[in-house]
Amino acid sequence: MATASRNVGPHGRGATVEELRGWRAFLHLARELRLARLARFAYPYRRRALLSVVAMVVVVLTSLSVPYLVKVGIDRGIDAGDLRVLDLVIVAFIAVSAVNLGASYVQTYLTSWVGEHVVLDLRRTLFAHIQKLSLDFFSRQKTGWIVSRLTNDIDALSQLVTEGVTSLVTNSLTFIGAIVFLFILDWHLALATLSIMPLVIGATLVFRTRSARAYALVRERIANVSAHLQESISGVRVLKAFRREDADRAALDRANAAYRDVNMRTVVQSGLYFPFVELMSAAGVVIVLWYGGSLVSDQALKIGVLVAFIGYLASFFDPLQQLSQLYNTFQASMAAVQKIFAVLDTEPDMLDAPGAVPLPDVAGELELRDVTFGYEATTPVLHEVSFTVPAGRTVALVGATGAGKSTLVKLLARFYDPQQGAVLIDGHDLRDVTARSLREQLAVVPQEAFLFSGSVLDNIRFARPSADAEDVKRVARIVGAHDFVTALPDGYETEVQEGGGGLSTGQRQLISFARALLADPRVLILDEATSSVDAESERRIERAMDVLFSGRTSVIVAHRLSTVRYADEILVVDDGRIVERGTHDELFATGGRYAELYREWEATGRAL
Amino acid sequence: MRTIWRITKLLGDYKWLTVAGFVLAFAQMGLSLVVPRIIQLTIDRALIGGESGLLRWYGLALAGVGVARFGIAVARRLTTGKASLGIEYDLRNRLWARLLRQPFAFFDHWPTGQLMSRAMSDISNVRMFLGYGIVFFAVNIVMMVAVAVILLATDWRLALVSLAFLPALLVVTWRFSRRLQPILKDVQQRIADVTAAAEENIVGTRIVRIFAREDDELAKFSERSTRVFEASVAAARTRALYIPLIAFVPNLAIALLLWYGGRQVIQGDITLGELVAFYTYLMMLVFPAQVIGWLTGLAQRAIASGDRIYELLDAPLEMEERADAAPLPQADGAVAFEGVSFSYVDRPVLDDVHLEVPAGRTVALVGHTGCGKTTLANLVPRFYDVSGGRVLVDGHDVRDLKLDDLRRHIGVVTQDPFLFSASIAENIRAGRPEASDEEVRAAAAAAQADEFVTALPEGYETVVGERGFTLSGGQRQRLAIARALVMDPRILILDDATSSVDVETEFRIREALVEVMKGRTTFIIAHRPSTISLAEEVVVLDHGRIVERGAHDELMAAGGTYAQMFGDAEAQHCDLDAVPVEKPAAAGGPA
Repeated sequence: MATASRNVGPHGRGATVEELRGWRAFLHLARELRLARLARFAYPYRRRALLSVVAMVVVVLTSLSVPYLVKVGIDRGIDAGDLRVLDLVIVAFIAVSAVNLGASYVQTYLTSWVGEHVVLDLRRTLFAHIQKLSLDFFSRQKTGWIVSRLTNDIDALSQLVTEGVTSLVTNSLTFIGAIVFLFILDWHLALATLSIMPLVIGATLVFRTRSARAYALVRERIANVSAHLQESISGVRVLKAFRREDADRAALDRANAAYRDVNMRTVVQSGLYFPFVELMSAAGVVIVLWYGGSLVSDQALKIGVLVAFIGYLASFFDPLQQLSQLYNTFQASMAAVQKIFAVLDTEPDMLDAPGAVPLPDVAGELELRDVTFGYEATTPVLHEVSFTVPAGRTVALVGATGAGKSTLVKLLARFYDPQQGAVLIDGHDLRDVTARSLREQLAVVPQEAFLFSGSVLDNIRFARPSADAEDVKRVARIVGAHDFVTALPDGYETEVQEGGGGLSTGQRQLISFARALLADPRVLILDEATSSVDAESERRIERAMDVLFSGRTSVIVAHRLSTVRYADEILVVDDGRIVERGTHDELFATGGRYAELYREWEATGRAL
Repeated sequence: MRTIWRITKLLGDYKWLTVAGFVLAFAQMGLSLVVPRIIQLTIDRALIGGESGLLRWYGLALAGVGVARFGIAVARRLTTGKASLGIEYDLRNRLWARLLRQPFAFFDHWPTGQLMSRAMSDISNVRMFLGYGIVFFAVNIVMMVAVAVILLATDWRLALVSLAFLPALLVVTWRFSRRLQPILKDVQQRIADVTAAAEENIVGTRIVRIFAREDDELAKFSERSTRVFEASVAAARTRALYIPLIAFVPNLAIALLLWYGGRQVIQGDITLGELVAFYTYLMMLVFPAQVIGWLTGLAQRAIASGDRIYELLDAPLEMEERADAAPLPQADGAVAFEGVSFSYVDRPVLDDVHLEVPAGRTVALVGHTGCGKTTLANLVPRFYDVSGGRVLVDGHDVRDLKLDDLRRHIGVVTQDPFLFSASIAENIRAGRPEASDEEVRAAAAAAQADEFVTALPEGYETVVGERGFTLSGGQRQRLAIARALVMDPRILILDDATSSVDVETEFRIREALVEVMKGRTTFIIAHRPSTISLAEEVVVLDHGRIVERGAHDELMAAGGTYAQMFGDAEAQHCDLDAVPVEKPAAAGGPA
């Protein structure tokens, strides 16, 4: 295959079918390994990368020349009694060492510089790509999983591109170079010494595959221990409440023992392999001294060659051991690379269509036209839904859990595209406008009021970073958040923890409202929070809704039927269809689904 | 110093393996020291001296040493490996067993991440040091001394010339490790910042999209990634400077040796074999000197890790069971609070609470966020101990009872129903491991969970929790209720069991509750009037005190705090949810 691939270009012109298959197979292998793709990230830094490879070659050559210099020093200097040669050799030795020092510096620094640049670029690319992925991706993958791609996997890769590449190149070069030097010095003795190589290489191959397997198991089992502990600590209150301490201790013991046992396997493997390589190295010394010694006795060889041989022996046993270690790093990194590229290969399905135009300033008329949608194409959640919300109106979506209210919101905000039909704003199909321009005029306040770590000010300003502190305070006052914010220890500068810890649900909701108001969108979609908040905040929130809805088109998903009174019109969603629409009084009088929902809901309350 | 002694004492449990490891390591080192001597003899006597018949014997001797070293090295690796893995295993089990004895307050104080990193990476640092570091450290020191002695004994002038590099090398390696450590720490810290940024972005991804702030987020992430890059390159620069230097310094010694020793050989003061042996011994000195800095780092990390581990192991157990704790095989379920006060880290939460609940009675605990209602309920199963007064179950102070017996009679449904990554059946069975399949199903049915569970593809065998099938809040709550029910407890504590579910589900859960509360003493911590209505008696708490108690109607008529809280809701006819709620995040923490 190798010869075939040498003869044909990448386009395979003039190649036989047979050769083409070989070439393709090679390409396939390369694709599997993702190396080419990884190399593309190194391309912008190719000059420095090339320079660092040159430096590596210099490092290896200078290292390998040392035993040779020793040989010259012994044979032509000491043995011949020639002080001039001895001094020349010493000067040469110092010079070579100095070059080695310089080249090592250049090599180590440049390799890391290039490697870390690749890692940085890849991390940014991955992050930027994740920003484009559909929300579907985020609901399918757990947060920890995605974060792990951006951190652990990238870090594993960082190891490969900095230390791994250097180790691979220098060790391979050293190994080959040492053998070449042996043959130059004396091919008889070289052959005799290398006769142990098949044993060493065989042992290395066996060890490499077995230990790769064992280390994979070790990683898996330590992950089990870690996952078990993580979960037990998170759930420790339940554990204690249900007196499961002993059972849990036993479960950890099992995971822990399983990890210990498989780790012992790696101890046994390397406990046999590394001493074996040392044994073979000793065998090499025995061959050099015994056989080489007899050659010296026969005047066929000089003593200096013998000493140099012993020096070179280390130069090919060390690289072999290093390379066998490298295989584990390589495997782990490749697994990481594959996961990273799998994310990069996930198509962002909400990209702007080619030719998408910025949405002009809109009045805010919303329309759903014969929309059919399902998270999986085969099981529609919405069936041919059509409705229009005139600009400036407030509409409430009402329905049981799972009726499709939240899905409607996701389509209106273009978190998803419909499979059939269209969503339009002022007559523009959402798919024909750029996502950015749409978001500037349409905002969603989600059920869960998420706050970022940072000050309250930053959190409100998130919607419009250019806003000044006065703007922020103004909107905070309007939604009724100003009072409690100023009462916080550092006022607007108070740091909130990720997720909004430290503030009550109601307070977070109000900050989230202020944020939306600051964005001042033409269309506002509010998914009402289900979890209850204290009475005080509840009243504030409802008052704030009034402010929020005025002067813009608003769609509210009403979980509490108390909020429907803020709506001009109610749309009743049932089983993916709009079954009724009208005002509260109209719908209640009709005695349909709404009346049913309302009575049910009221019964809950009346149970007092 | 104390820590290193304590860590080292851990080897005591593997005394014989440790002793064997040391003996073997020294034997291995001793054999290594023989090799240059044999090479020297080979050169001087067999090759230069012309006694070529000796070649065979020297060859055999070298082969013998090689084989012996192989055997010893295998044995050494197995013994120290076994001991260190054993220590890691013991230490982790011991740490977790100790943590499990700590009360709730301990876990309120310690973040999960802290406990995790101590149980995982800190323990593995200690293992590395004990299994590898100590032996290596000892062997390397002895090796350096032994080689130095051999060199001085062979030719003290030559020895002094060639050993001159040793202090320089030690200084360089020591400085290297001292300069690199803080940079590596910095890299770790900056990686943690990147992780935090990534995590937050992903959790808050919807908000980012809604306000089209992707570019800002990318800029923030890029900036933090760049900081990692800068620190990593700084680390690389330090390595690039020192690692080649550490290799270079011994080369100067070799140059000196060749220059001085070569002349001596030519003058006939020493033999060529001696020079080669000298050279080989010198090489044996280089490696220990190079790694000693690294080993010191390993020891420092192990000590720091040991400190962190012992901080947890030494933390006093604040709520141990009394030695003479009384069993409670049967209980009626009468609960009484007598002048109970409770402070949480100097913040008073409960103040002189008196409350008597006869067996079988259902009581609703009501009040604003932070009024102490969850805390009050948590005192019954001794999740926390009172700061003053006492809590009685069937007339026994809970602190006098066996903890296991006390909790056996109390079923708890917490605010955030935590499920383990196990099958639904196993999760429900947590309440009573010996429960039969029928009993599990019956409990699920009573909690209105049977229907949705059987609709799942794998029914009761469906794995849920963090690493399993994602259930809705309402579904998890119903499973938590089933888990409490399968215990058939005399006392039931329902903490905000119906928050964050929709109206229909709440209706069903409430129906379930009516059924399960029958014949049990029940505390309901409630926020919705509909749930409060299940109780025979309502206890209103405010600022850690009971301000009102009585039936719902009585309290409404009385026009006090309770009427104020719910009167508004009544008037607005729709505002039924307008009732205070506890923060739903922390499961069972003190309110």
